[in-house]
Amino acid sequence: MMKKQITRRLSVLTAGLMVAASLAACGQEAAAPAPAADNGSASGEAQQATTVSVETTESNTSKKTVAMGDRQIEVEVTDIGLSGSFSYWSAFTGDSATWEQERVDAFNEAYKDLGITCEVQYVPDGAGINNGKLLSAIAGGTAPDLLITDNPTSAYQYVAEGSFMALDDVLKQIELDVDSFYDGCKDVMYYNNQCYLIPQDTNVIMLYFRPDIAKECGLDVNNPPKTLDELDAWADAMTVADGSNYSRMGLIPWLDSGNDAFVVPFFFGADPYIQSENKIDLTSENMVNYMKWIQSYASKYDPEKINAFSSGLGGMFSPDHPFMTGKVGMTITGNWFTGALKAYAPDVEYTAVPVPVPDYGRANSSTFGCNVFAIPNGTDPDKAALAALYVKFCEQGTVNDDNFCQWRSIPVIDAAFDDVTLTKEGDAMYAMEREIAGSPLNGIPALCSVSAELSTQFQTLRENLIYNTSLDPETELKTLEEQMQAAMDSK
Amino acid sequence: MGKELRGYKIGVMLQKGVIYLFLLLFAMGFLLPFFFLLTGSFKTSSELFSVPFRWFPKHITLENYEQVFTKIPFFRYLRNTVIIVVLNMVGALISNSLVAYGFSRLRWPGRDKIFMIVIATMILPYQVTLIPLYLMYTKAGLIGTFVPLTLPGFFGNAFFIFLMRQFLVGIPKELTESARIDGAGEFTIFLKLMMPISKPVLATVAIMSFMNSWKDFLGPLVFLGSDRLYTLSLAASMLRSNLNPNWELLLALGVVMVLPVLILFFVLQKYFIQGITMSGIKG
Amino acid sequence: MTGLKEKLFGEYIHSTQRKKEALHGLLFVLPWIIGFLVFTLYPIISSFYYSLCNYNVIGKPTFIGFNNYVNLFKDKTFIKACQNTVYMIGIGVPVTTFTAVLVSLLLNNKKLRGTDWMRVVFFIPTLVPTVVACLLWIWVMQPDSGIVNTVLGYLHIPGPGWLSSPTWAKPAFILMMIWTCGNAIIIYLAGLQDVPESLYDAAAIDGAGFWKQSLHISVPLIRPTILYNVTTLIIGVFQWFAEPYIMTEGGPSNATMFYSLYLYQNAFSFFKMGYASAQAWIMLLVAMVIILVLFKVFKFNETEIG
Repeated sequence: MMKKQITRRLSVLTAGLMVAASLAACGQEAAAPAPAADNGSASGEAQQATTVSVETTESNTSKKTVAMGDRQIEVEVTDIGLSGSFSYWSAFTGDSATWEQERVDAFNEAYKDLGITCEVQYVPDGAGINNGKLLSAIAGGTAPDLLITDNPTSAYQYVAEGSFMALDDVLKQIELDVDSFYDGCKDVMYYNNQCYLIPQDTNVIMLYFRPDIAKECGLDVNNPPKTLDELDAWADAMTVADGSNYSRMGLIPWLDSGNDAFVVPFFFGADPYIQSENKIDLTSENMVNYMKWIQSYASKYDPEKINAFSSGLGGMFSPDHPFMTGKVGMTITGNWFTGALKAYAPDVEYTAVPVPVPDYGRANSSTFGCNVFAIPNGTDPDKAALAALYVKFCEQGTVNDDNFCQWRSIPVIDAAFDDVTLTKEGDAMYAMEREIAGSPLNGIPALCSVSAELSTQFQTLRENLIYNTSLDPETELKTLEEQMQAAMDSK
Repeated sequence: MGKELRGYKIGVMLQKGVIYLFLLLFAMGFLLPFFFLLTGSFKTSSELFSVPFRWFPKHITLENYEQVFTKIPFFRYLRNTVIIVVLNMVGALISNSLVAYGFSRLRWPGRDKIFMIVIATMILPYQVTLIPLYLMYTKAGLIGTFVPLTLPGFFGNAFFIFLMRQFLVGIPKELTESARIDGAGEFTIFLKLMMPISKPVLATVAIMSFMNSWKDFLGPLVFLGSDRLYTLSLAASMLRSNLNPNWELLLALGVVMVLPVLILFFVLQKYFIQGITMSGIKG
Repeated sequence: MTGLKEKLFGEYIHSTQRKKEALHGLLFVLPWIIGFLVFTLYPIISSFYYSLCNYNVIGKPTFIGFNNYVNLFKDKTFIKACQNTVYMIGIGVPVTTFTAVLVSLLLNNKKLRGTDWMRVVFFIPTLVPTVVACLLWIWVMQPDSGIVNTVLGYLHIPGPGWLSSPTWAKPAFILMMIWTCGNAIIIYLAGLQDVPESLYDAAAIDGAGFWKQSLHISVPLIRPTILYNVTTLIIGVFQWFAEPYIMTEGGPSNATMFYSLYLYQNAFSFFKMGYASAQAWIMLLVAMVIILVLFKVFKFNETEIG
């Protein structure tokens, strides 16, 4: 087993790039045609999926109780007749590394009898996906057998560049059924009808508001904004001018947009990339409306002054986030913000509701922000199967429960909600998240062969429009659209 | 006359005072971030973020330091960093002094043109060479070892060569000529005669090479495959995870990382400044 | 061939002693030659080849001629990155140099006692590991709880958003550049030590005060040192990467998108290694011009021995 791996590696080493590339090509040829996974039309089917994938009760699956951290959890173990070890790069560094280590230890304990071990490395910057480490490793043939990253946009571009392995065969081998995953997640999972990325969990985006501030401004907390107009009205009502400055803002629409380029445009109904035509579309009416909306805030409030509101530190993970200090009354962000509030501002009252949208927008829905697993191309097929076992292991509700409780991220299968402690406890917010997650409108926008660059350029464009309100959004968007379309066509 | 002189003296004193005050203010400005680093490392998370800014912690806590040593395998990272730093220092001292000697005390055709190439390499952006180098190390099976971070140090560094060459050029020719007439070999002259005189510039090279590899972030990030080999700089960037930046811990780690360099600098300070003074760097 | 040999070796070829010296010279320089061939020349040549290719690192490079170079000059972000870099060279470098020279002149004032500790103070910021320095400056520049805005607040000046403001992000980086100018100060001080004391005395007799002395004696005499420091600063600005990468990632509104950062982004985030290599080569050529200036300033040929 080990020997096989070494010889395989050596061949990659000696011939370097060329071999890596040809291996990549082989992998694609060898893969079986993808199972039906049409993103658009399958929207109704996912709702019917009731069984959790890991519950396929074949004879080679058994249950086992292992320790995860200080808890005992019941997990499933699948015997695929292979043993050995595989390497794994985890993006979860810092405090999250503790959780990842517990998960790896639990896996190793569960699979001890089958002789399977996961060797984990903690690699900063989304498992090296953003800083050149992963790219160099793939080019040099030293990539891990498995990785998880918190940057699905970049991961998708890696897929498009041919650096990850198509997983359909491996998934069949280890009996992980991904058909029942949320359709919205399938945007990131599939490329050219083959499955490459497996989400571990997903996040939903909501509007957070401070009921104490709303009440103070005479707003009805029981009737939070549902439409864009109502949102604007709330924002106005909450804003407090203090001379030429503002002591409080109702809403800064771009405050937490940080690295999520297309989240709010999604709510406006914009589709930056039309897959069927392989076309980048930044000039749709919805997109232009979004930019105009952003600009209306920018011209109403001097963005340079608003800057003083935003924290340059840990994004939302510091106690000086303006929502926590009461300097903004509302913000559009993901479920993880609840975790941040709990950790840094436990006394702050907050309510989360679906993001208000214009009448042409996507109401009561959300984009999915996923942490995704991937197996680099050129990985030995046996190792890939072992690595996939880890993926399967991590999809289990019992393994993910801690993660869900702390960050309120959600499972990628509707039925798995039932196993989550928060659901069992009858948590209202989690129930709402589940409802949002069930919307057939959900998806992950703008995934294409240039997604990393598109997302970066779009964010810059947005910032340009915010700081230069005299710029015309339509012209700017058109320029970027042409530029990115050209970049995509030249691939 | 006497009156004038007294006026002049007062003027000079006043001027001195103004200059001193000005320098003092400047120095304080330079120290301000350090002040923050040091006080911040003793603050609790909530005090760190308090608005308005608090100059001194109300409750001094040592917990941050405690965590630096317990939460991460600090001593392993330290050991790794020290291995890389020491190998680089040794490599820099040996290779650069040899090369600089060849460029300064010996005449050979094409020497100055080649020296221009040495200087030109100072401006190379390392991002360009990163991928080809990575592929090269991969073929050699050296990724995930300290070799990519230490081996190049043994083959000279443009800036250090330049520094040492400028120093060696300034040593009178007669010194080596007499030794040569006495029949001393070139290597003996280099080792027994030139190196002892070069102590200041060697100290400068030592400090600067120490600093370079102590500070390096991208190199270890790309070339070190495993957590077992990670350095302190990497540890700092790992502590800052997406879901919790661990600021107060980072500040404590920062203090711990700055201290050894400060100590080294104070020990070698005299030589260091002398080294720069005596090398031709000043033009 | 023989002609070239004659030209290269000239007088040396006739003298066996000189031959021996030449051989020794080459032996001493050998480590660098090996290192240069392996760690520099080979990667450089590869990168030049890549700059003429469409190359995503994972696949095979495909030759596209000078397209990358042509496209660069149509790329708005590249132009912006060049502008930002020129801004830093045009404003940041002079400001930093002025500060460093000023501090050095003051520190060099022989009549002033008790300034030794200050030399150390000005130098220690350069000893701080990059990652730590960046994190520190993110804090120092905080709009609310940052130490800079706190001090400005005492003076009743409303502090800007610094790193999160397109207008103030670059000045923030200039402040950081000044903070790390200790190396330059040490070098200036070294240069100032060589200015003969007698010149000052003569000027003092003529009634020239400290400022006049500095302006008319010190500064002209350390001109080569200034030029040296300016050149290294400029090269530093070109290579500036870790600081904007850690602190701002090029934002806001690309205000801190500097040359090397965009190069890095193209290479490792956008899979455009060929494009990035073209960028690197443009940088290399520009920097080469700067180096030539450096050589003129240093007049290497005059400092030769023997």
